Amino acid sequence: MPRSGRMKVEAFAAQAAREILGYKTEPWSIKGAQVLNLHYEIDNDTIDDLLPVTMRPSIPAWAVFHVTHYPDSPVGPFTIGEVRIGSRAGVRPRGFVLRSYVNNDAAVRELAQRWGYPTVPGQVYLRIFHDRVVARVANSAGKNVLDMEMIDREPIAGTDIQYNSSMHLARNKDDGKLVLVQVDPEWVFHKAERGRPHIISLDSQAWAAGDMLKAEYPISATCCICDVTLGKIRYICDPAKDAFQGTTQVAA
Amino acid sequence: MKFGIFYEISVPRPWDRETEKRVFDNCLEQVALADELGFDSVWCVEHHFLEEYSHCSAPEIFLTACAMKTKKMRVGHGIVICVPEFNHPIKIAERTATMDIISGGRLEVGTGRSATWNELGGFRANPDETKKTWDEFVRCLPKMWTQERFGYQGRSWSMPVRAIIPKPYQKPHPPMWVAVTSPGTEVDAAERGIGALGITFGSFKEQEQKVKVYHDTIKNCEPVGSFVNEKVSTVNFLFTHEDTEIGNKVGRRLLGTFNFLAAQLSAARELYPTRSYPSVGLLPALREQASGPGDEAGVPEGIAIGNPERVLHACKMWESVGVDRVNFLLNAIETVPQEQVLNSLRVFAKHVMPHFQETSTQAAAAGGGR
Repeated sequence: MPRSGRMKVEAFAAQAAREILGYKTEPWSIKGAQVLNLHYEIDNDTIDDLLPVTMRPSIPAWAVFHVTHYPDSPVGPFTIGEVRIGSRAGVRPRGFVLRSYVNNDAAVRELAQRWGYPTVPGQVYLRIFHDRVVARVANSAGKNVLDMEMIDREPIAGTDIQYNSSMHLARNKDDGKLVLVQVDPEWVFHKAERGRPHIISLDSQAWAAGDMLKAEYPISATCCICDVTLGKIRYICDPAKDAFQGTTQVAA
Repeated sequence: MKFGIFYEISVPRPWDRETEKRVFDNCLEQVALADELGFDSVWCVEHHFLEEYSHCSAPEIFLTACAMKTKKMRVGHGIVICVPEFNHPIKIAERTATMDIISGGRLEVGTGRSATWNELGGFRANPDETKKTWDEFVRCLPKMWTQERFGYQGRSWSMPVRAIIPKPYQKPHPPMWVAVTSPGTEVDAAERGIGALGITFGSFKEQEQKVKVYHDTIKNCEPVGSFVNEKVSTVNFLFTHEDTEIGNKVGRRLLGTFNFLAAQLSAARELYPTRSYPSVGLLPALREQASGPGDEAGVPEGIAIGNPERVLHACKMWESVGVDRVNFLLNAIETVPQEQVLNSLRVFAKHVMPHFQETSTQAAAAGGGR
């Protein structure tokens, strides 16, 4: 039978999950976001351990290394750096977020409480140069946990880009239960580019992945300027059940 | 209207050697029965690295075995990947010609380019290039089959003049097709005078429009081959049983399993942004079609699942929008027991096929048959 995740969610949650304050958040619409997104194939032997049983590993195993700079938001400008494991919830493509480093304390709090992002404070850097786009993520102590770039920039259409929705393991404050929260951002692309992806360094431990996260083979890189709407939460899942059985709709 | 069977060769875990052998044996048993029952053709994909979903990486071997097991059925590549990292065009010409000889002139050659990162990445093929290499390959293949000697200096490949041998048994050469999954490929097919294989676009209305565009365009085609193969086929699922409840229940299980397996794969478009792949390809298109709202039994419109009356109705609907042939997927990771697959073929042949025989006979009389 097809594979499924086999993460020990309580143990993972103790490291990474944040508390979410219900599922009724209002959307945030943020203009002029800068995104650097890398796809890399990762270790096929360990991907099952990086996903809750709700989710199925992508074939082949791959991850998304994603940094977004929001020049403005209800809590001011912030930059977020994430690693998402390529996966499926039922038949839907999703990215399971291991951890989100954010360089704005208010955003650390709000993203967790509103959408269940597994946020931690960090130093996140994104710069667009003529020859490359560079992103670096460091923890709050300044230790580098991800250093990546896109080189050989070339323009493409925004319609060529497909970013998947993400799933966040969070603890619901009301009942103390773990829950998987699906977040479906909407992107409106103003400028889009692709290039060659290059991960210079990656600290697996710092992404709550033990020693299991290895960037093994480059796939693609995109950079874009876009408007992003972090919408209302539409679906949550029980992380102990398959998505077909454990999904609940919370908003239309 | 003709009916074929279509194989992905889907193998459930655990992959011990007996499991894979059993699946291949089951497929060949189905093919032999389908030939006896009057199915027109057997097709199989070329896929690589698509775990559980398709273990059909050497279709030329499987199709050769099919040819040996059958007397009348045509055997079809559905499709052979026309990307140099996967298949050198000379090898395609040589292999297909040999298959045509061995099968006694029963080969159909579907062409295509792959739509998953699993495959394109695995062979280190450039997704930007696949449409271009496909176009170059399909223009060369008929010449390689028909010219005593062939030489070529092209964009993605070249060769000095050589005798590419053997030559196909069918003269001038086997019929050619292209897998139609991306929007607009039906126009590519028509402009080149080749068959449209596996059109699976949403609603019947949309399908009807695509077929019309194909037939309108092909009138002014510049054929790549020595003749025009003006045919439209589609892919469908098949499970039928005289007992409505069994037909619906087992059929829905087949749909659900196939959709689930296909969803685990990584479409090229999902991982590699390129204009070359404006859609996610056949698999999600077929999934979408098979995930529609469904009737009171939960079976989507146009899907050949259920009792024979319902399956007949679905096939008539496809016929009404101009489809010449329906190729049926019969199983997915053996979710349907082999005896039920075989019974389903028998029930279809007994209760559904006769309703189309007159049409086939008339078409043949009018010069539309082979």
